[in-house]
Amino acid sequence: MTTRCPTPERRLSQRLRQTTAARWRPRLPSQAWLLAMLLAGFALGAQAEGVRSAAMLSHTCAGCHGTDGASAGAAMPTIAGMDKGYLVKVLEDYKDDVRPSTIMGRIMRGYSDQEIAAIASFFADRPWVSTERPIDGELAYQGELIHQQRCESCHADGGRGQDARSPRLAGQWGPYIQYALETCRARGESCKKRQGAERVMVLEDAEIQALAHYYESQK
Amino acid sequence: MSAQQPMNPSRRRFLGSVSRAAAGGAAVSLLGAPAILHADAPKARVVVVGGGYGGAIAAKYLKLADPELRVTLIERNPVYVSCPLSNEVLSGERNMESLTFDYRGLSRRGIAVMGDEIVEIDPEQRFVRGKGGAVYNYDKLILSPGVSFDFSSIDGMSAELADSTLPHAWKAGPQTLLLRRQLEAMPDGGVCAIVAPPNPFRCPPGPYERAAQIALYFSHHKPKSKVMIYDAKDAFSKQGLFQAAWKEHYGDMIEWVPAAAGGNIEAIDADSMTLVGPVEDFEADVINLIPPQRAAELAVNNGLVDDSGWCPVNQQTFESTLHSDIYVIGDAAMAGAMPKSGYAANSQGKVCAMAVAAAINGQPAPAPSYVNTCYSILAPDHGISVAGVYELKDGEIVSVPGAGGLSAADADARTRAIEVQFAIGWYRNITADMFT
Repeated sequence: MTTRCPTPERRLSQRLRQTTAARWRPRLPSQAWLLAMLLAGFALGAQAEGVRSAAMLSHTCAGCHGTDGASAGAAMPTIAGMDKGYLVKVLEDYKDDVRPSTIMGRIMRGYSDQEIAAIASFFADRPWVSTERPIDGELAYQGELIHQQRCESCHADGGRGQDARSPRLAGQWGPYIQYALETCRARGESCKKRQGAERVMVLEDAEIQALAHYYESQK
Repeated sequence: MSAQQPMNPSRRRFLGSVSRAAAGGAAVSLLGAPAILHADAPKARVVVVGGGYGGAIAAKYLKLADPELRVTLIERNPVYVSCPLSNEVLSGERNMESLTFDYRGLSRRGIAVMGDEIVEIDPEQRFVRGKGGAVYNYDKLILSPGVSFDFSSIDGMSAELADSTLPHAWKAGPQTLLLRRQLEAMPDGGVCAIVAPPNPFRCPPGPYERAAQIALYFSHHKPKSKVMIYDAKDAFSKQGLFQAAWKEHYGDMIEWVPAAAGGNIEAIDADSMTLVGPVEDFEADVINLIPPQRAAELAVNNGLVDDSGWCPVNQQTFESTLHSDIYVIGDAAMAGAMPKSGYAANSQGKVCAMAVAAAINGQPAPAPSYVNTCYSILAPDHGISVAGVYELKDGEIVSVPGAGGLSAADADARTRAIEVQFAIGWYRNITADMFT
């Protein structure tokens, strides 16, 4: 047994050994008891530090992003079933003010990096739910032409593909996509670091509208 | 809105059987939903009283946390009318239908939704009793009863006057429409007075958003009119953002009189439509008097409030510190740094549901996480927000340092317009979280 640099968990388990173990030692073989108390010590240590579960943290998001991250619309994106790496990156960028926001930065500054990873995992594990709204076929077709020409190389399979750099777009709320594209275009230089941003910069209003509608039409 | 409104037939049938059972002195078993008909011995019975922003969420998230729980939600009204966004009815931007929700979505989740008004709590025998005598036994009871109004603190004011001529409209429903009709009937050049209550009260930014929504209506239809706010306080939520937006959109139409300038209204004469302040009296054509508040009567009458008039609760679980196995969430509860808002009630409902499910399953109370997000719509293209992230520290709910806060004071027009879209998205999602 070492006494060097005790972590809080270790200090607690030592205290438990010193107090409780002294009373009970005759009833258990010492090695088994040591193991049991170490486990108990770690469990108690975790509780005392107040580690918040992924579900506890993530349920606070549902008021704006829908139960389990499936948004009821329309400016709020669905975040269920998104790529975990993408969610971590976006949430951390909000926290660090790298990604401008109206409100997400204010909220994400309340969480540690570990908590952000837990939240990202929680939503990545939920099922994606596409919107169910009437689609204007002509507008969606206009959008598809733009998509095939400029976006499919990263947002593959009609926007269904996703990875840590490219979010799923198929079945997402059109008004959110429109807002996100317009925001990137309005930011100009400061958005250009993001993958695909040069292509967003040159889009006309009508093109953005058509693209957003196309992605919403894809389920 | 009253309990006499028609209910769906199955609910009426069931209520009849409950009443008969109660009248016969038999133990009442709650078999309100088909999903639990075959569950002879539930793991535990959790009764939730109040189907609003706190209670509806607590019921739903109890079922999500542990589907084996028998969850009963008791609500006196057959439908729910949302307070958030109801100020938009005053401007004409929104109708009541868009604020109204039913409980079918929660029934489909296996929650027994009962139309009843609870009037008595027996914390020893662990049951609650409805107005008609029906008895509902519980192992754990969650109350989300909302606020009540202290009419007596303003001389000349009463609940009857609020219903007939001086609507507070601080619970969305008939009084919201009454206030709207009074504004429509008011002549151009008239004065609408809003009397804002002292802290703490439901929806701290609400009176000031309301002033903007009424001014929006005036600016289109009665441009010579004024909105006067007589306040029991000297400061209010998001004050700088509100005052800048009032000026930007409505010029001098809205005037705020703080307590220090004589705005603290002490009495009212309804006949002459005169508000009596400590320094001078004020006449108005329409008076929206929002009375001082405390926890709902159900909590007050059953020993769940302290001298403050609000319910003291364990900040980690929301269990009452006055009665065990009874939990209080939402506006009625004292929740540290959290405001009395719909989003706060939503967040508390989830923390409480997880704590109750853990207790029933013999687990320690989970470490809690709480958030508040409030939007105010000041013009069709001008929204502002306040956010808060909270944690438990030394048994108290405190703001996480560095997080939360207000919309930027220097935000551009595009940002303000987007915040209106987010306010509407907030509303769609938080109500879907409650009722689907």
